[in-house]
Amino acid sequence: MTLSAANAGAFNALFSPSAIAVVGASATSVSGGNRFIRHLKAFGYGGSIFPIHPSANEIEGMPAFPSVSATPALIDYAYVAVAAQQIPALLRSFAGRVRIAQVMSSGFSESSGGHELERELVHAAQEAKVRVIGPNCLGVYSPRARVTFTERTTDEPGSVGVVCQSGGLGVDIIRRGQNLGLRFSGLVTVGNCADVRPHELLEYFLESSETKVIGLYLEGAGDGRHLFEALRAAKGKKPVVILKGGRTGQGRRAAASHTGALAGSDNGWKALAAQTGAVLVDELDAFLDALLAFQCLQPRSTAARRAVLFGNGGGASVLGTDALARANFDVAPFEPGVAAKLQALKLPAGSSVLNPIDLPAGALQQDEGKAAETIFDAISDDGGTDVLVMHVNMTVVLSFRHVDMLGNLMNAVLRVKARNRSGMHVVLVLRSDGDPDIEGPKREYRDRAVAAGLPVFDELSTAANALACVRHFEIFRERIAQTGPI
Amino acid sequence: MSAELKAAVRIARTSGASALDEPAGKKLLASYGIRVPASHVAKSAAEIPSALSTLKPPYVLKVVSPEVIHKSDFGAVKVGLKSLAEVERALAEIEATLDAKGIGERSWLIEEMASPGLEVVVGGVVDPEFGPMIMTGLGGVFVEVMKDVSFRICPITRSDAAEMLSELRGAPLLQGARGRAPISTDALIDILVKMGGEKGLLTESADEIVEIDINPIIVTAEGATAVDARFILQHSVEG
Repeated sequence: MTLSAANAGAFNALFSPSAIAVVGASATSVSGGNRFIRHLKAFGYGGSIFPIHPSANEIEGMPAFPSVSATPALIDYAYVAVAAQQIPALLRSFAGRVRIAQVMSSGFSESSGGHELERELVHAAQEAKVRVIGPNCLGVYSPRARVTFTERTTDEPGSVGVVCQSGGLGVDIIRRGQNLGLRFSGLVTVGNCADVRPHELLEYFLESSETKVIGLYLEGAGDGRHLFEALRAAKGKKPVVILKGGRTGQGRRAAASHTGALAGSDNGWKALAAQTGAVLVDELDAFLDALLAFQCLQPRSTAARRAVLFGNGGGASVLGTDALARANFDVAPFEPGVAAKLQALKLPAGSSVLNPIDLPAGALQQDEGKAAETIFDAISDDGGTDVLVMHVNMTVVLSFRHVDMLGNLMNAVLRVKARNRSGMHVVLVLRSDGDPDIEGPKREYRDRAVAAGLPVFDELSTAANALACVRHFEIFRERIAQTGPI
Repeated sequence: MSAELKAAVRIARTSGASALDEPAGKKLLASYGIRVPASHVAKSAAEIPSALSTLKPPYVLKVVSPEVIHKSDFGAVKVGLKSLAEVERALAEIEATLDAKGIGERSWLIEEMASPGLEVVVGGVVDPEFGPMIMTGLGGVFVEVMKDVSFRICPITRSDAAEMLSELRGAPLLQGARGRAPISTDALIDILVKMGGEKGLLTESADEIVEIDINPIIVTAEGATAVDARFILQHSVEG
């Protein structure tokens, strides 16, 4: 399965529309359509906006049109938020005038008695030859095109493409994600997926040159087979992270065999992850962390295994070692050559240069944290390390106010990353106590690090889990490289 | 869909059965290249002597009846029978049980008993979301109590099959843990691919057969033999 030319055209219109029609904006009050127009204006959308209204001449200070056939330009994307009953007739009126429509309205298959209306919607869309996203969703976010369906979204474009079956969770993904440093090539909420199915958008993001990693939030049943086939055909072309709601539901009829009784809905998703290299996560934070790891890190051709932990705080190092080991990384002592090199550095007293490397803040501050770079260079030159995790207890490090120890550590790790030829993954864990005077600098350091391609996590365990997601993908690519086409 | 598969399904449907009987199921497995024990079907006790003439002891005797779903619950499987006399005695015992339960319709499957080995389960199910899926696990407590199984979406490749086995918690037993001889994982991978591969039984039969249990498959260092198999037809689990 690959992206058809028709779908490519429709989805390009969705993510970079030149002309948008808004059906369902009010001339007298503030409805979803009005808010969308306001968001577009505030976000600096540069294309044409055509409010559609049966009687009004003006909406949100813009000329309104009675139908899409009256607009001076063809419509790339129609935002539709009118009563469910009106939708089929409206879609028929889009024939030849609209490339893709997104129906926000609810009252379809998600509510009792709405199935028939949803079938009518699909039928009308097919008749009019208009692809339809939704119904029962919130909109699309495309920072490159300055299109957004919600407020306070960053206009900085990025490489993460997301298909989200829940509107509200879509807002969470953008807002919480952007605060972690995620930057999106696009996010589309897809609701009931009556016409356009998630795998079609997946195929679009797989082809899109702006998209490096793809996230899918899915719920309900029905599209597993299509996703499996699309992912299988992609052969690990791009990392895909899947958050699937409702995996704990058994949802199976009385089974007549042992196998039938053992097969819950979760088995299929786990199998899909094993067979396609897609990463399956259980909750929203893990989803965002995995996307961040893939946004920043370049998957290795041989799966990452050997990890070095560097930071201040003995307890954190011990727990971090456990977390990495649980995620199947090897936190082993250095080879004699590297060990001797590190010993020869004559690091400040109190340091331990075994792996994990524990440099107490007191020891670090003696040369303002610059020892870190020397250590990182020795590790990087050796080439035996696949993952370098630097963790910083910010409370302690920032208490040394006379030196910019954290700044030096950051510079060191960024320089190592920039010079790094062995493809070593470098990640940063900024551990905060939650005080506002720590959270402020943490935010600044986080932004700086992520902008430089260094993923930042709040804890060692979350870093370990995100790295395990990257490794799952690497193992899959390694496997298909060995066994040939699957 | 293979001719054997079509024929087996047609015969079962004509008789109103919800599942293939064991001889039909095994014939189907054999037609996909999966080894099953040498066997003979006898309509009555009178046919047993001639059935045994082509088989090597020890024997296994099983009743074949649409009214008996879980044969072991009825004591309707007798293993390790060494002679005609033992087979006839076993048959009489089963007949008495069936008569007591008022089960009339029956015939007999007499098989060569597979040599001992590691018991493995291979199953198939048509998942509402993913279509045909294949499962494997080690027999007995591993599958039944610990639910130590692994699933894949069909069609699978050999490397998928190898991965299914390696992700079982009991995988070391395949390599001969606890003093056992290692078994032929290749033979097991062959069966998984013959069932769940591109032209596998499960992949080809998904329209007709919704659930399959091959339980157990007995695997030795030399190969793997499917000793029991159940095939549940499509409409029988609906509604």
